[in-house]
Amino acid sequence: MSWRTGCMLALAGMLAACGQPPAPPGVAGDPARGRLALTQYACHACHQIPGITGSEVYVGPTLKGFASRRIIVRNLPSTPENLARWIRQPQEIDPHTAMPALGVSEEDARDMVAYLLTLD
Amino acid sequence: MTSNKRLVLLTVAATLAAGIVLSALAGTLLLFSGWYNIGATKQHWQPVYTVLERGMHYSVRHHARDITPPDLSAPRMVRQGASIYAARCVQCHGAPGVSQHDIGKSMQPIPGPLVDAARRWKPGEMYWITRHGIKMSGMPAWEFRLADEDIWAVVAFMAQLPALSPRDYATMAEAAR
Repeated sequence: MSWRTGCMLALAGMLAACGQPPAPPGVAGDPARGRLALTQYACHACHQIPGITGSEVYVGPTLKGFASRRIIVRNLPSTPENLARWIRQPQEIDPHTAMPALGVSEEDARDMVAYLLTLD
Repeated sequence: MTSNKRLVLLTVAATLAAGIVLSALAGTLLLFSGWYNIGATKQHWQPVYTVLERGMHYSVRHHARDITPPDLSAPRMVRQGASIYAARCVQCHGAPGVSQHDIGKSMQPIPGPLVDAARRWKPGEMYWITRHGIKMSGMPAWEFRLADEDIWAVVAFMAQLPALSPRDYATMAEAAR
């Protein structure tokens, strides 16, 4: 590898790093892709999500500080697996929730979780 | 006029002119270079979004200022509105416990949820938006698709939406079919 390629790779790494914090240890999924996926499944129509442009909405709770939440809903502990399940099939977990299933794929849910768990 | 004063005025005028020419050049370059990303995966910068949204609010309030709503409480009218809502609105706006269809999920700006619309807008304003649409947002003008009384029926239904649970909505939408 020439010094020039090395420099460019290092620069690319730095640029990527300053744009998006990495997922916490032990969490699979790509947070940068997850951030984009959240905007493509209309999550920001009802939730305020830090880092995502949108209106001041209160239809769903804000997702600010999501990483420090212990419980997602009812008594479901906030683990990456539970979160992905909640995102994909909320009404299976809480039949009375107004949050609909949005047809999120397994991979997209994993990436969304990776992003949400960077929000401290 | 002293020559000193003249020099100051000339400098101010020249600076202003240079500023205008430079801004026009920069704008032209941005426009024709195509550097601006028009893709729906690239979001607006939050301040730009906020300004556009505020402008939309002020415009709607101004244009709807003289509209007097009819009585919106008749159950028949609400039922009629529920039926139209389930057929024409839910695709983009969703409903309690019901997601938007793929079109509504992917639009940017995202169509707002209407569950709480009645808390943010007066009836006349909801009527105006439904009737005239919102430019560059994907919201169509329903004036040419729905009769005036049907637009008011949708408004009457939206006035009830904040109080509806997912189950209430499902029952109403089912009855409307």
